[in-house]
Amino acid sequence: MSTQQGQDAKFFQRGKIEEFRAELQAAEAKDKKYQKRKTVLKKIVANITMGNDMSPLFHDVIQCIGTPLLEIKKMVYLFLVSYGRSKPDQIHLVIPSFLQDCNDRNPLIRALAIRTMSYIPISVVTEALSDQLRHCLKDRDPYVRKTAAICVAKVYTADPRKAERKGFVELLRDMLIDENATVVANAVAALSEIGDRQDGVIFKLNLTIANKLLGALGESSEWGQIYILDSLLRYVPEQHSDAEMMAERVIVQLQHANSAVVLTTIKALLYLMNYMGDRRLIDYICRKMGPPLVTLLSSGPEVQYVALRNILLIIQRRPTVLKNDVKAFFCKYNDPIYVKLAKLEIMYRLAREENAREVLAELEEYASEVDVDFVRKAVRSIGRLAIKVEPAADKCIESLLKLIETKVTYVVQEAVIVTKDIFRRYPGKYEGIIPKLCENLDALDEPEAKAAMVWILGQFADKIDNADELLDDLVYSFLDEPAEVQLALLTAVVKLFIYKSQSEVTKALVHKVLKWATEDIDNPDLRDRGFMYWRMLAMNPAIAAEIVLAEKPAITTDSDRMDRGALDQLLLHTGTLGSIYHKNPETFIRNAAGRALIDSPALNANSRAVLVTLARPQLPPMAISVSGPGPVEPTRPSQPGEVANNVPLPTILESSRSDERDLLDVEGDDGAGGDSGEGYPDGDDDGPVTKAADPYASLGGAFGGYVTDVPQPVGGSRSGDLDDLLF
Amino acid sequence: MAIDGLIILDPAGRPIIQSSYTTYPAAYPLLHIEALNNALAKAPREGSVDPVIYVGELSCSSACCHVEVGGMRFVATISGDADPLIAFAFLDAFTEILQDYFGVVSVATLKDNFDIVYQLLEETLDSSGHPLTTSPNALSDIVLSPSLISKLLASVSPATPGVPSARQGGSFGSNGASGAFTSPIPWRKAGVRHNHNEILFDVVEEMRGIVGKNGTTLVSNVFGKIESNAKLSGTPDLTLTFTNPNVLTECAFHPCVRLQKWIRDNALSFVPPEGRFILADYQYKPPQSALVSNVPIPLSLKANMDMGEFGGTFALTLTSRLIKVMENLELKFYLGEDATSAQCTLSSAGSSVGSVGSADGSWSFNSRTKTLRWEILNMRSSGSWILRGSWTSKIKAPRPAHAFQISFEIPSYSFSSLKVDQLRLSSETYKMYKGVRMRSKGSIEWRW
Repeated sequence: MSTQQGQDAKFFQRGKIEEFRAELQAAEAKDKKYQKRKTVLKKIVANITMGNDMSPLFHDVIQCIGTPLLEIKKMVYLFLVSYGRSKPDQIHLVIPSFLQDCNDRNPLIRALAIRTMSYIPISVVTEALSDQLRHCLKDRDPYVRKTAAICVAKVYTADPRKAERKGFVELLRDMLIDENATVVANAVAALSEIGDRQDGVIFKLNLTIANKLLGALGESSEWGQIYILDSLLRYVPEQHSDAEMMAERVIVQLQHANSAVVLTTIKALLYLMNYMGDRRLIDYICRKMGPPLVTLLSSGPEVQYVALRNILLIIQRRPTVLKNDVKAFFCKYNDPIYVKLAKLEIMYRLAREENAREVLAELEEYASEVDVDFVRKAVRSIGRLAIKVEPAADKCIESLLKLIETKVTYVVQEAVIVTKDIFRRYPGKYEGIIPKLCENLDALDEPEAKAAMVWILGQFADKIDNADELLDDLVYSFLDEPAEVQLALLTAVVKLFIYKSQSEVTKALVHKVLKWATEDIDNPDLRDRGFMYWRMLAMNPAIAAEIVLAEKPAITTDSDRMDRGALDQLLLHTGTLGSIYHKNPETFIRNAAGRALIDSPALNANSRAVLVTLARPQLPPMAISVSGPGPVEPTRPSQPGEVANNVPLPTILESSRSDERDLLDVEGDDGAGGDSGEGYPDGDDDGPVTKAADPYASLGGAFGGYVTDVPQPVGGSRSGDLDDLLF
Repeated sequence: MAIDGLIILDPAGRPIIQSSYTTYPAAYPLLHIEALNNALAKAPREGSVDPVIYVGELSCSSACCHVEVGGMRFVATISGDADPLIAFAFLDAFTEILQDYFGVVSVATLKDNFDIVYQLLEETLDSSGHPLTTSPNALSDIVLSPSLISKLLASVSPATPGVPSARQGGSFGSNGASGAFTSPIPWRKAGVRHNHNEILFDVVEEMRGIVGKNGTTLVSNVFGKIESNAKLSGTPDLTLTFTNPNVLTECAFHPCVRLQKWIRDNALSFVPPEGRFILADYQYKPPQSALVSNVPIPLSLKANMDMGEFGGTFALTLTSRLIKVMENLELKFYLGEDATSAQCTLSSAGSSVGSVGSADGSWSFNSRTKTLRWEILNMRSSGSWILRGSWTSKIKAPRPAHAFQISFEIPSYSFSSLKVDQLRLSSETYKMYKGVRMRSKGSIEWRW
C-alpha cells in the first residue's frame, strides 16, 4: 500500500491531447495486462476532473471499450458519460459495444451499459436503449433490475410521452411488487421522480400497494426506506382506520439510526395524522416524535440546522410535540451561529408560563455574549417573550432595563425597538420606564431604533414633560434622516401638537415639519402624509385628534404563527429545501409539482377547512363558466407566487395517454378539466370552505423580518403584506 | 428528493473530484463551487456559514450542502424539492465509505485513489441523484479496496492473465459480483468465512451539559452508542440481552436489529453486517423521578473571575466527583477578539496520591484562536487542580466568553452502568469470541 502512495498524484498533471493519443496508440502493442492502457486512461480521467477538455480523444478512447478488463471499461464509460452527448455524429460507433455489454454474462457490466446509455440523450442511443431496458427491467439479477428502474426515470425525463407509449411506466409499476426490496425501493424512487414532474403521470398509491411497500421497509437500505416512506404521501387514506393502521406500522421507523429516515418518518406521520380520527392516537404519536427530534440535535451542526428548521414548522402545527423540551434547545457558546439563531426561534415558540423563567434566564445569558447578531436576536426575543407570556412581562421589562443600562449601543437599540411593542401590548402598564429610555436618546443611530423611540415620544407626549424639547432636537436633522425616521417624526410631531396645541413651541415645530415634508421632500409617501395631516389639522383639529390618536388595535402574538393551511402544506415538504426556507418549493423551484393535502372522507375537518388546493398552472382551464342558474363554481385560490414562478409548459396531451387512466395505482394525469391534478376540488358536501386568498402571504410574515438569517430564495419579496403588528 | 451530484474541494476551494453532472450545463457545478467559495470567504469566522447555501443564479434554483472533512469540503448540490438531510446523510455515509477504503481521508489519499473514488461514487450515487448502495458490505464486492487490489496483485503470479479478469470470468465471477444484492440480507454479504470468529462491542457514552452561573446543572444529556465490530462466518443470528435494559431510552438501531423483538422483550436480536457498524444509539436518562432528569456532572469547577481594564485575572479550581480517573481533561476559555496574551500558574491541592510539588497539567494560549487551554492528562478521584492567571487585552473593556468548554474522557466507565447479560448465537454452531468495553466522554459548558 505504501509503495502505491503518491503514485497516482502524478496523474493530476495537465496533459496534452497529442501526447495522450500517442500513448494510447503505443499501448496497443505489447500491453501486458493492459497496464499501459490503464495508466493512460487514468491520466485522461484525471484531466477530465481538472476541467480540461479531453473530447478530441473520443475516437481513441472508444477503441478501448472492448478491453476485457472491468477497470478499463469503467473508465471508458466514465469518458462516455462526460463527452458522449457532445459527439452525436460519432456516438453510433459505440452502439455495438453497448449492445454487447447489455448482454454480457456479468450483471455488473449489463447494469453499467444501460446506466451509461441512459446518460446520453441522443436519439440513436435512446433508441437502442429502449429494447435493452425492457429486458433489463426483467433481468434475473436484482442488481440489473434495480439499475434499470432508475434508468426509466431518465428515459422518461428525456421524452415523457414516448416513455409512456413504450409502456415503461407500467413496467416500473410492476416492479413495486418485486421480491427484492432494493428493486422495490428504486422503482418507488423512479416513479416518485416521474410523479414530481409537472408534466409527468401522477403517482398515487392505493391501500394494497402501500401496505406491500411497507412490507418491504424492513429489508430495504436506509435510502430505500426513505423512498418508500416518502411515497406514503401519495397514498390518500379513505378511512380514519387506514391512516391509523399505517401510522402504527410506520412509527417504529422513528428508531432508525439514519437522521434522514427519522425525518422522513416524521413527515409521513404528520401527513397521516391529517386523516386520523382517534385523538388519543394522535397525541401518542406526537409524544413519540419528540425524542427522535431531540436525538437529531446530537448530530453534527449541519444536521442540527436542518432538523431545527423543521422542528420550527412542526411545533407550530403540533404544539404538543416537544412541549416540555425547551432545555434541549438551549444554545451552547460553541454552537455555530446558524444553529444558535434557529434554536433561539424555537425557544421562543416553546416558551409559556411554566418555563418562561428558565427561558428568560437563558436569553439574558445570550444577551451578554460576544456575537453581535446573536445578542441582538436575544434581546429582541426577551421583548417578544414579554409580549407572548403576560405573567413573565414584568421580569422581561426588568431584564430589558438592565440591558439598557449596559450602554452597549446595539443592545440599547434592540431594547428600544422591542419596548415600543411592549407598550402597545400592555397599554398603561410600563410607561414609567420612558424616562430611562429617553436618557439613551443619543445612543440611537439605527433607523429602526430611532423610529421606535420617536413613536414612543409622540404617542406618550402627554406623559413626557419635555417631549417638545426632545422632538425639537430630533427634528433638527429631519432632512437627513432615512424615510422611516422621517415618517415617524412627522406623525410624532402631529401627535405632540394635538396633545399640546396651546404651546407656541409645538406650533412652530409642527409647522416646520409639515412644511419640510410637503415642500422639500421628494418621497411621495411622506409628502402625501404631510398634506393629509395638514388638511386634517386645518379643517377640524378635534377630528384629527380622534384619527391620529385613535385606539390602536391590541398587539398579539397570533400573527406570528403561520397560517394553518400553509403549514399543512409546508409540512408535506418536511426535510426538504422548502422546509428550510419555509416556502413551498413550487414558489421558488421551477418545474416542481406542488404538494397539497388531498381531500378524502377521512380528512380531518379542521384540515379540510384550511385546505389549499393546488392548481396545476400549466393546464389551461377547460371548463368555461357561463353565468346562469346553478351553484357557482368555487374559484381557484389565486396564487400569484406560484403562477409567476412557473413557466407554463406546453402540454399537448395526447389521446393515447388516456389508456393509463385505468391503471390501478399509477393514475394517468388525464388533464381533462382544470380540476384534475393532485388537488381534488372540494366536494360539495364539505360545507363552507374557507380558503386563504393567498396561502403564502403569511409565510414570510410569520417571521416577519425577525429571522433575518432566513435565506430569501424568492426574488420578489413578500414583505409588503407582512408588516404585521409585531416585527 | 434527489442529489444532483457531489463535489470534493481541496482546502483552497478547487475541485478534486466531482460526479459527472451529465444532465446539467457545464457551468452548473462551477457556479455552486463559486457560490460556496464566496460564502466561505465572506464568513466572519470559521463555521459560521450556513450549511445549506442557496444558489439562485440559475434558472433552476438549487442549493449546496457542505461539510468539512479532513480539511476538504464535501459538497452535495441539490435542486428541486430535495431533502438537505438526505444530502448530509449521504455525505456522512460517503465519508465513512472512504474511511473504510483508505483509512485516512485526505487530499493525498483521494488523489492517490481517485479512480476508486470514482467507482465508489458511481455505485453510491446515481446520476439522477438517488443514493444507492452505501452499505460497505455490499460495496466491497463491487469495488475492490486498494489494499485488496495490492494484495491480489502480490499474490497472483505473473503468468496468470491478471487479477481483474479473474473477477470477470473466474472463481468469483458473474454471480459473486453482485452477491450483495442477491444476498437475502441487504446489509450482509453471503458466504463469509473466518477461521477465528469474534464480535466486539464498544459502548461509548457522551455527556453533553450546560452548567449555569450559579453552579446548577441546566442541561445534561448522555448519548450512547454501541459500536460493534463483527467478524463472524455464515449467517450468525445473535441475541444480545442486558441486565438493565431500562437505562436505554430513545433508542435508534442499525437496520439489522429486529425492532419488534426489542419492543417485546428488550432484547437486541440481529444478524450483523461484516466489519464495523453502529448497532444502536440511545439516550440514557436516570431512572429516578422526573424531577431530577439531569445526569450528575462528574466534576465541578469554581471560577473566580476578576475583570479589569485591558485584561483580567482568574482563578479556576477543578475537582473530580468521580472514583474513576478522568483522562485528557481539557478546559478551553475564549478570551475575546482583542486578547493579546495570558500568564498562568498551575497547582494542585489535597491530592491523595501524594503528588506534591509538580502538578500534572499544562496550559497554553493560542494567539490565533484567542483561546486559553488547560489540560490535565490524568485527573484522579480526589483533590483539586488550580489554574491561576491573568490575561491582557487591547481594549479597555474586554469581552471574553462567559463560558468554559470542558471536555474529558473516562475509560472503562459508563454513565448508565449498562451491563450486558449475555450474547447468544443461534443458526451457527461455531464458538465465537465476545468482548464488551465501556468508555465515556463528556463536553460541558460551564458558565460564569
